Amino acid sequence: MRVARGRLLQNAAASLCILLALVAIAVGLPAVDRTISAERAVPPHLPYEVGGGVTVVPPAGAVLDVTRTRPTARQGTALFTLGPVRYVIVATPFDGDLDGAVDRLRRKVTNAEGQLDAGLPALTGTGLSGREGAYTTPDRAGRYAVFLAPDISIEVTVSGTETELERTEPAIEASIRTIAYQERV
Amino acid sequence: MTATAGCPGGHGVPPRSARTAPVHPTPAWAVARKSLLLPAFWLVAFLMALGAARMVLVIQNAIAEYPVATTTALALFALYAVPFWLFVSALDYLEREPPLLLATAFGWGGLVATTVSAPGSTAIHNLLAKTYSPNFAAAWGSAIAGPTVEEIVKTLGIVAIVLIARAQINSVLDGVIYGSLVGLGFQVVEDIVYAVNAVAAAGRGDDVGPVVATLFVRGFLAGLWSHTLFSALAGAGVASVVVRTDRTMRFRLGVAAVCFLGAWACHFVWNSPLLTVEAGDNGYALIAVLLAKGIPPLLLILLLVRTARHREADYYTQQLAALDDPDIATPAELRVLSMGHLRANARRYAYARAGVLGRRAVRQLQRAQAGLALELSRAQTARASPAVSHWHEEVLLQRARLRSLGHPEAVAIDLRRGSMRRRMLILAGTLLVLTAACAALAL
Repeated sequence: MRVARGRLLQNAAASLCILLALVAIAVGLPAVDRTISAERAVPPHLPYEVGGGVTVVPPAGAVLDVTRTRPTARQGTALFTLGPVRYVIVATPFDGDLDGAVDRLRRKVTNAEGQLDAGLPALTGTGLSGREGAYTTPDRAGRYAVFLAPDISIEVTVSGTETELERTEPAIEASIRTIAYQERV
Repeated sequence: MTATAGCPGGHGVPPRSARTAPVHPTPAWAVARKSLLLPAFWLVAFLMALGAARMVLVIQNAIAEYPVATTTALALFALYAVPFWLFVSALDYLEREPPLLLATAFGWGGLVATTVSAPGSTAIHNLLAKTYSPNFAAAWGSAIAGPTVEEIVKTLGIVAIVLIARAQINSVLDGVIYGSLVGLGFQVVEDIVYAVNAVAAAGRGDDVGPVVATLFVRGFLAGLWSHTLFSALAGAGVASVVVRTDRTMRFRLGVAAVCFLGAWACHFVWNSPLLTVEAGDNGYALIAVLLAKGIPPLLLILLLVRTARHREADYYTQQLAALDDPDIATPAELRVLSMGHLRANARRYAYARAGVLGRRAVRQLQRAQAGLALELSRAQTARASPAVSHWHEEVLLQRARLRSLGHPEAVAIDLRRGSMRRRMLILAGTLLVLTAACAALAL
């Protein structure tokens, strides 16, 4: 049982081409992606559309990570960074109550081997009620807030080093108060 | 070897297979073990092992978090794959594909293509967001990244199958079959991951509700015209390069490119935000959109499959027709043998006339006729090989059995009624699925 040398070489060359194409897709494309900065400035003092009818006025000096920001009509995510501090807002369809929405965030945090405290009642300037508190994971600490709008839960997480969190807290707190929801027509 | 004599009906006209889609039977000297000596085999084995390891990790994590929902998703989508697999593998009744090669195609789609596509698709989404805007990426990212990355990776799987076992690609239909299974593997694994993600997003803990909803929406409503179809089209193109040796390489590559672009375009339209309604908005509108986007490619690809099947059936039945022996196959039996619904009709007719034994004898006769046709094509000279002799004797044995049952010819009867009944069944089944989907979406 033998394979002709010519066929063997042809097969090896074609196999190599397949491998190279796969590597180009799985490794090359992400490498190209990494060479381009994901950060974009956002206009201050103007509401930014997170998705699902949720808007927020970003803190002054924040930049948007466009690779983690995906606004759609039904749901959305926005990730702002202020230096090393990450400020994430996630709006997703949800038909439960506030406890259920907080439990959902708690599950995500505990999946990352972290902990979420019980939190305290919170209210945005636009009247959305929710709960806010603190959480920790093995590699970061932060604040969280969960608000409930009709059919939408809004999860806010702010993470970074303790010093940076303290420094940016007023600006981010002010931004959280601007979170608003407008039901789609 | 291509057929040159008259058509199965014996009108002296060259069969369609000889004119437009030659069939290249697997040569008698082809040995499956030879694939072990080919670099392509080891590349595919390595990549599948890598993909399997990743999938095990993904499933392990999902089971740790949502044991009931994940197990349900695995079980439901495994069951979901069975009728697809049976349908696709039965497309080639006259020249069955090796099960191991079919499993390799499925494995490439489920393990390799999903593993490679994930980082590539994410990168394209990110690049679109950076180049244009997050809104553009959210709206058009799936339409651009999905077909571009996934169709390439899946088509490379079909090419890898060709490299491993070129002798098994005998006709365009074989490319359709391997392509379909690559697509089916991709679809099933992707749906399992979507189902688990839906459970996590719902935030109701280990709940099977989102799994069932995913099965309905992605499996039944969207699954009939998804990856399985797209890759079938790309597979037809790859097979054309292999089997249409009567045409120039430029022509064959052109056909392959057109098929690939067709698969890309079908996938693009399917993923595009045009004609989109949100799942939660209006169940009826969602179904209307799914049908509007899905039915045109479904019909196009079904037409392609039908043509490819008929071409191949022409070729193999011609092998039997050339024997000109009514004990082997009568002209009416040749017509029956070439079409799946007529074969089933003939078995039902035999059951009506001669009971279970009659149905079994017709099934075995059809199997033996197909086996003989295949071995005749492989041996190239009639009755030259032991395999030909074996199937020849088997056909005569089943013929004698049918005669003893008073049903000497395995023909189909009242074709119009049978065909109408089949169509009504398909229509009723489709309506049932759509009604169930409407009810599920309305809840």
